[in-house]
Amino acid sequence: MSSKDLTLSLSAHAATLSQKKWAGFFSLSLREIERFLTMKSMTVFPPLISTALYIIVFGFFMGRQIVDIHGFSYIMFILPGLLLMSVTMNAFMNASSILYMARYDQTIQDVLLSPLSYFQIVSAYTVSSIVRGVLVGVLVCVAGVLLVRMPIHSPAILLLFLMISAQVFGSFGIMIGLRAEHWEHIAIYINFVVTPLTFLGGVFYSVSLLPPWLKTLNLLNPMFYMVNGLRYGILGISEVSILGSFLITLLLGSTLLGITVYLFKIGYKLKT
Amino acid sequence: MNISKAVAALEISGLHKYYGSFHALKGIDLIVNRGSFFGLLGANGAGKSTSIHMICGLTKKTQGSIKVLGYEVEHHHEIISRLIGLSQQEFNLDRFFPLHKLLRYHGRLYGIGKKILDHRLDELMSQFGLWEYRNQLTHRLSGGFKRRIMLVRALLHDPEILILDEPSAGVDIELRIDLWRYLKKLNQEGKTIILTTHYLEEAQSLCDDIALLREGEIILQGRKDDIVSKLKGNLINFFLPNPLETPHVE
Repeated sequence: MSSKDLTLSLSAHAATLSQKKWAGFFSLSLREIERFLTMKSMTVFPPLISTALYIIVFGFFMGRQIVDIHGFSYIMFILPGLLLMSVTMNAFMNASSILYMARYDQTIQDVLLSPLSYFQIVSAYTVSSIVRGVLVGVLVCVAGVLLVRMPIHSPAILLLFLMISAQVFGSFGIMIGLRAEHWEHIAIYINFVVTPLTFLGGVFYSVSLLPPWLKTLNLLNPMFYMVNGLRYGILGISEVSILGSFLITLLLGSTLLGITVYLFKIGYKLKT
Repeated sequence: MNISKAVAALEISGLHKYYGSFHALKGIDLIVNRGSFFGLLGANGAGKSTSIHMICGLTKKTQGSIKVLGYEVEHHHEIISRLIGLSQQEFNLDRFFPLHKLLRYHGRLYGIGKKILDHRLDELMSQFGLWEYRNQLTHRLSGGFKRRIMLVRALLHDPEILILDEPSAGVDIELRIDLWRYLKKLNQEGKTIILTTHYLEEAQSLCDDIALLREGEIILQGRKDDIVSKLKGNLINFFLPNPLETPHVE
């Protein structure tokens, strides 16, 4: 038998490697989407109920006593912000809890052993967070349309900002899910980072009403640009450039995605 | 991408691992030939699982080189992951999904097409007596069944090298014998199998080659018969004239 005969060719492996890798990426994305859907009473419906309560309180009880902002009733003005709160919180919670749990019960090793690249692993977790965020966002929009006849100025821009906002917080959630040693660590980031950024990002007020120094401070808050984009998508009004808001959010999302891929690559809290 | 038959399944040289100041692996050199059944023996804490995890890229090495079928573990993760199937000592099964779904998602991670995956799942779940439990959540199953699932998961993508970290831990004698028979068959079909175990008799009945690890060092390495004969001189055998009586507890 010649040495050629003794050679085992793995070229079949190589030829299909690339397409197989993407099948793996879709499988991981679907698995994580199915995971949150199996718990929809915990993951999808609660934000819908809390947003409906916001609409009832601010729309029907308190909202009538607050003057219109930019020609819209108060509830209509804050609806895009409420939408963003639901989307970002869900995207963040999805990614952080999946990663934390996967590290805790070591199921992450199963994924790390697979032929997926770190970029594909991170992207799959991010995609599932985007899907959860956008799904919740769409349900909140439906509630807004049904309860207070919320208009939709530009569905494309609305969807675009829903997606990139969910991506930003999905990636951030992955980082925190990697870093957290206990569930409380995730709660700390929610209470001390996500919630303050949301409330100070122009969800409940217009920056035009703020004194100049606070207006400048507000411009440093990335949530402001996400709220601005969603507000344009829904109401057709914006306080800064839409393109600028998109680019800033995109830059932030890309940076966070890059950091999470890097953390996987160095095995941060994944490999001893 | 061609892999010559002459290339070793696993080639480790000068492998060191430190956990802080603790020197867990102290310069391991090891060669596992393709198609062999290799046993890595050692007591708890000897460094068996650490070595296995480093081969699979789950633990970072401090120093040294690990090659799987000629590919450096550090640089060819995506190729090596298809060539290796690992059944870990600790159960790490996703508790959210029923068994068939869990394995199906796992198979898809490796890009296995639906038809082949269905066939593999039928074959392996029947082989390991898991078929009737396919709709169960894994955390509701006993340790023995979890061990079987771990083995099916490792075999699902039909890897060239099968690495089993204490595969018979927590399994009953019946499964152990079935498992040994099945592993022998796989090995005869050409699969390279690397097995870690505490039990000399397990290595003795399965392996061709053995390495003995102690406190992070390989103290003996070679053909099974040579190692066993060397070890036998250091063993004390107790022969009981009568079976022990089980104490009666009120």
